[in-house]
Amino acid sequence: MEIKIFKVGKEKPEKVEIHCHEMTDEVREIVAFVKTRQGQLTGIQEGNQFEIAVTDVVYVEAVDNKVFLYTQKQVYETRQKLYELEELLREKHFLRVSKSLLLNLMKVQSIKPAMNGRMLAVLKSGDEIIITRKYVAELKKALRGGS
Amino acid sequence: MQGKEFWIDFVRTFFMVTTLITMVFLVVGPILAPEQTFGYQVFSAPLVYALVGTVPNLVTYSKRELKVKELLLRKVLQLLLIEAGVTFVALYGAGEYWHQPHMIATLLGSIFFVFVAATLISWVGNLLSAKALDRELAEFQKMNE
Repeated sequence: MEIKIFKVGKEKPEKVEIHCHEMTDEVREIVAFVKTRQGQLTGIQEGNQFEIAVTDVVYVEAVDNKVFLYTQKQVYETRQKLYELEELLREKHFLRVSKSLLLNLMKVQSIKPAMNGRMLAVLKSGDEIIITRKYVAELKKALRGGS
Repeated sequence: MQGKEFWIDFVRTFFMVTTLITMVFLVVGPILAPEQTFGYQVFSAPLVYALVGTVPNLVTYSKRELKVKELLLRKVLQLLLIEAGVTFVALYGAGEYWHQPHMIATLLGSIFFVFVAATLISWVGNLLSAKALDRELAEFQKMNE
């Protein structure tokens, strides 16, 4: 794919245009990347696509090779992989807290102990998420500005 | 705890318990039975007791992350299995000295005390870490609002 970058004046809006033969997974990935950078994710619910603000997502979970976005009230499926989202959402205060879950730290109400060196993140919605021992160290680092 | 992490912890616990039991034998032995003499087979005792004390860890293994209540329940089961295993070894594998009811009761009481104390100490350590993380989280959220 050929890449061209044009500089525009401040008076014009910045935009990304994709010219493609067909909508492939590669193109979808690029679109998803750009949207995520702009603070949006694409979620699918009952065959319909929705644009979801990253700030509305409470956590992202991988279940049986599918990835789901959980907002306060809704659950959406996404085509993006968990590791891709981990990378893209790092700057948006999301952190991997177990093998299959990314948590929005801004949506956590408090942290409690959960036996065996694990922690329990109590969400503002009242739900509870286990932070496994392996990722507790990552959480400490993230909260101290390490990631 | 899952997979590789669990097994590393399992092996580490086994060797730690073996060392601790050897140390207990060294300290408690001369007090309880100073006249006792042993053959080479005594070297197997810490290994057997450590195995009996470590194998019940397997009940805490799960491929998915266990909820706190589930883990607590499995910890109780783990303690019961350790008590049962140690009683079995004391009755059928150790000397006559251990067959006296008060000796078995002391042994089981000690295991219960050590298990509960270790779990409590670990819980308090976790609680302090959680409180510190909670404070840091509040600061983090305030800073990034």
